Amino acid sequence: MLRAFAGRIHRRHYLHAYLFIAPVIVLFGLFRVWPSLQTLYYSFFKVELLKGRLTYLGLQNFAALAHDEIFRAATLHTLIYAAAIVPIAAALGMILAVLFNERFPLTELFKAIYFAPMVTSTVAAAVVWWWLYNPQYGLFNVILKLMHLPGQPWLLSSRMALPSVILFSVWKTLGYNLVIYLAGLQAIPREYDEAATIDGAGSLQRFRRITLPLLAPTTTFVFIYNSIFAFQVFDQVYVLTGGGPARATNVVVLELYKQAFQAFQFGYASAEAMVLFVFILGVTVLQYVYSRRFEVVY
Amino acid sequence: MRLGRVVAYLLIGLGAVVMMLPFYWMVITAVSPAPDIIAFPPKWIPSHLTLDHFREAAAKAPWLLYYKNSLVVATASVGLSVLFGLFAGYAFAVYKFPLQNFSFLLILGTLMVPVQVTSVSLYVFLAKFNWVDTYAGILAPNFASAFGVFLIRQAIKNIPMDLIDAARIDGAGEVRIVTTVVAPLIKATLATVAMLLFLSSWNDFLWPVIVINSQRLRTLPVGIALFKDPYGNINYGPLMAGTVITVGPMLLAYAFSQRFMIRGIATTGFR
Repeated sequence: MLRAFAGRIHRRHYLHAYLFIAPVIVLFGLFRVWPSLQTLYYSFFKVELLKGRLTYLGLQNFAALAHDEIFRAATLHTLIYAAAIVPIAAALGMILAVLFNERFPLTELFKAIYFAPMVTSTVAAAVVWWWLYNPQYGLFNVILKLMHLPGQPWLLSSRMALPSVILFSVWKTLGYNLVIYLAGLQAIPREYDEAATIDGAGSLQRFRRITLPLLAPTTTFVFIYNSIFAFQVFDQVYVLTGGGPARATNVVVLELYKQAFQAFQFGYASAEAMVLFVFILGVTVLQYVYSRRFEVVY
Repeated sequence: MRLGRVVAYLLIGLGAVVMMLPFYWMVITAVSPAPDIIAFPPKWIPSHLTLDHFREAAAKAPWLLYYKNSLVVATASVGLSVLFGLFAGYAFAVYKFPLQNFSFLLILGTLMVPVQVTSVSLYVFLAKFNWVDTYAGILAPNFASAFGVFLIRQAIKNIPMDLIDAARIDGAGEVRIVTTVVAPLIKATLATVAMLLFLSSWNDFLWPVIVINSQRLRTLPVGIALFKDPYGNINYGPLMAGTVITVGPMLLAYAFSQRFMIRGIATTGFR
């Protein structure tokens, strides 16, 4: 009797369970999972949207990608971008967090200021920086001129454009790293620092021997997480340079955007999207490996 | 030690000035008379305030329409994602059912495949049933949120099962339990999820710029990006007025709720 009763409750809950998860499953199935599988599928085809025609190409898209100078350069720029912004923003964020960890008046206000670019639309902020980077009247060159230094071409030079985009992105994401590192620092018991101080360790030594190693899990998170976002960079490049000058700042997402929505090469763009996915997957696997290695127990 | 503290404070202050500079110059350019904008040495404080640039910006683009579109998209995305997330989160936290782990991993797995990867085939897919250049098309990848489901499930797992069982004994149905017992108990989490999703929808650019063709559907980021003429336009006053219009309300909201927003973004890792 009791068993039957329990069984009935359980079955009724199956119905509820499936009803409750149905909207998410259906919507994700349609608009997330299905397009993911389609991306893989399309990467083996020539896709002609208007004619509604698919032509099987096998691995030809990928073979073409390997020889595509423009795509290879875009991949290189994306990797350079990630390899620059991730450690720079992480190091600055960590240093700032250590400085912030001393108690000051107005700490909250300063934290809010550093974090403000994070909540600002990347596109709008990039429009502002586009004006700051103007070689003639932009604020950066005006300040250089005030200091009697030569003005820079910034976004107009193929050598300086990518570093200029990186500088923007550091400004945009620094506050995030600061807040994450602050949380990491607050998790370290103060006793460690105090004990080392009593033993006569200087502040630089304490930072190197205690803070830095105990922040390793935070650093791993910051590196992995920011790398994944760095591979997807698009908004700021679209606004600041449009990929130029002379494709010096063309990145993977911008390139696949152009292939798909300007050249209408949907199959080829899907193959490019798969390359991007492999990068993201690689970093995610790294995360899985490293998050275990750096676990800290207090 | 005292000296170290002073140096640290100075560095933080100096850094804060640098961080603020783009915002400050955006506002100053927007309200300065045209000759001030290109003056050397720079006019850090405008000789007088003017709204001319705002008038010109308003004449050139339908900002109110962009606001309406951004609001419609963000509100719909937040409302539906929180509603669906609440019920799915409850199911994953409270029930045991076949394929539970599989469906949960399926949902979380979508986090690994960002819209940057799926945009091309999503566009092709939506084109088949004429969703390109519609509100539904802009919303399609954001009807539900994997992050939302995950965070809500975590919060519901922390509620004692006794509370839910007590409500069942009192005769409340499962839907009623979710809406009247569980939802109020996790309202802090729901507020955080809503804030994060609103922010990401409000600032989203890649997918809207792909799926929107006509001006009448442009959201604010798409509007400001297309407002900027990429070729040698030195009319920066109206452009900065446009950016002030675009980012003003969000920065104002941030000024009043920065603790809540920073904590939400930092503790969930969502951005």
